[in-house]
Amino acid sequence: MAGFASCFGCQINITNIERYLLDVLGQIDMQYWQLTSSDPMPDDFDVCVIEGAITTSEAEKSARLLRDVADVVITIGACAKTAGIPGMASVDYRLRQGEVYGDDVPDVVSDTAYEPRAVKDVIKVDFEVPCCPADPYVFVEVLQKALRGSNAYVRTSTLCGECKQNERGCFYGRGILCLGMVTQSGCHAKCPNLGRPCSGCAGLSTDANLEVARRIASKSGIGAEAFDAAVTVFNQTDPRVGDPSI
Amino acid sequence: MTSMKIDVDHLARIEGHGDIHLVIKNGQIEQCEFSVTEPARFFESMVKGHFFYEAPYIASRVCGICSASHTITDILAIERIFGVEVSERTRAIRELLVYGSFLQNHATHLFVFAAPDFLGHKSVFPLADADRTLFDAALGLKAMGNELCAAVGGRSIHPITAVVGGFTSEISSDEYLRLADALDAHLAFALDAVDLFNDFGSIDFETKGDFLAMVEEGSYPVVGSDVARFVRADKTFSIQDFANEIEEYSADHSAALLSRMRDGGNTYMPSALARVNASWAELTEPARFAAAKAGLRPPEFNPFANNIAQAVEIVDALVRCSALCRKLAVDDFEDTSEPVEFEVRAGRGVGFTEAPRGSLIHEIELDERGRVTHARIITPTSQNLANLERDMRSLAKQLLDARFTAEAIQLEIEKLIRAYDPCLSCSVH
Repeated sequence: MAGFASCFGCQINITNIERYLLDVLGQIDMQYWQLTSSDPMPDDFDVCVIEGAITTSEAEKSARLLRDVADVVITIGACAKTAGIPGMASVDYRLRQGEVYGDDVPDVVSDTAYEPRAVKDVIKVDFEVPCCPADPYVFVEVLQKALRGSNAYVRTSTLCGECKQNERGCFYGRGILCLGMVTQSGCHAKCPNLGRPCSGCAGLSTDANLEVARRIASKSGIGAEAFDAAVTVFNQTDPRVGDPSI
Repeated sequence: MTSMKIDVDHLARIEGHGDIHLVIKNGQIEQCEFSVTEPARFFESMVKGHFFYEAPYIASRVCGICSASHTITDILAIERIFGVEVSERTRAIRELLVYGSFLQNHATHLFVFAAPDFLGHKSVFPLADADRTLFDAALGLKAMGNELCAAVGGRSIHPITAVVGGFTSEISSDEYLRLADALDAHLAFALDAVDLFNDFGSIDFETKGDFLAMVEEGSYPVVGSDVARFVRADKTFSIQDFANEIEEYSADHSAALLSRMRDGGNTYMPSALARVNASWAELTEPARFAAAKAGLRPPEFNPFANNIAQAVEIVDALVRCSALCRKLAVDDFEDTSEPVEFEVRAGRGVGFTEAPRGSLIHEIELDERGRVTHARIITPTSQNLANLERDMRSLAKQLLDARFTAEAIQLEIEKLIRAYDPCLSCSVH
């Protein structure tokens, strides 16, 4: 289990299934988990789980090393999948160091840092557990796939379809922006169920039609500007975001 | 004369990435650094241009443990700008959410991160074989914190329901009552845990730094007060003017900005221990008695006692949350927690809460359309890192003079760092 630029919340969230934790750990021989154990990193392992975005050349080196050793790489959370929240900084990256640290940017920040990238933009990834934070039960499901194999399709549909099944109504009718129209399904619309619009943390669906979603936001009075701001929160590094042709 | 070199790359069992570098030559400390190598994510910069309603959701991602605190603190800063007055019920639920994150954080820190040092384990998992009852009770307490945050916030971390003005959704009265019963059921073990961490013992050591905590007359505040106090300097100030009292500065070995008191330059330690030092008399009775039994009374300047202070706060949080849940269940409030109406306007606001690890400050400026033009986040860990480094140096000197081996010095320094419960992902953000 390895962590890069993130809030560590996905790893914490895995420790949050206390009741089942020993059952999950019982299926594997846990070799390395810096967050919970001072055992050093071993030379050999079969499965590697990565949280966080790649934001330094050192992290990139570590990720490549992990990929070389592991048979299977699983990423957990939005930071690893889309560069997530850290990915917001990928535009005008160098300017941001000065904005936060002023003229005295510490060496440890400036030496090896670069624009945040999703893990899959650096190494090959076999399985992804989406969302911010990654749902620990989805993680367990994906871990089973990694351990025992699976021919299940990866979802491509958008959240709207899944959300409609909950019969909670739509935010658009109330003039509230929601990213369900462009976001990958699979979370059972957890946020809309609790009265909160989707913020796109699962990543953009391959079926997403950003152009139309943006036009709908504009026509419904919410405004294209609000749509553009919202979509960058978790998906700044998606090549479809900020594409001038959209 | 003794010479030794201690290097720990990526210290385990803390949140985030940090390295220890200690060089002793001829009995003198030549270098003593806690190098924060956590990658910077530039939250203050990237939140700019986003609308106010996105800001707390983004700020939440500063930290995977105290996400509730970052969310509420950001909301408070924005509400200050808009002049929002939330309902009593909303205030009560916010308190519940913040205390829920105390339970999560303190139980995780004490049992998953700190306890293995004292039990001679590399992680918490061998405890499942060594003492299954303790293991189950410890993880049960952690699970209780998660359950509470999930019930109130919609999931155990990165709350969904907390927004500017109130909450988008609430659990039923029955669920509040069930939570209250569950909280009560953990009290006996929580009291034992105070004794357990007291029995672990610690080296006789005193920090030279000050302590910072939120204060309010007649209360042990964690959210709702705007007043902070440097305990040793006995200096009280409004958090809206924090920049007059707290100075941030950068150091080449730390990706986190460090903090010191503007007046006199002393380092300081926001923490559970700071709160206990500031408001001991206002702890709930079971918590105060447990503290007294463990010998934790103000003034307590040994940073290792932060472990005991956190255990005491678990007792305190259980008692308070149970009472809050029962009050929310019988609907002892005039208004609902539904978000209140407000008008968007430009301005500057500072939000302030006691996060599990100590005082948390968010400063936000918005333009007339409610877009962020400036943000500043000062976390508990970024404030106490300078004090931690100073303590590491004086502890190393003390142990060196007492002829401790390099291995023993390393263990005690690791224990000290873990006693601070640093969150390096928070500190760099």
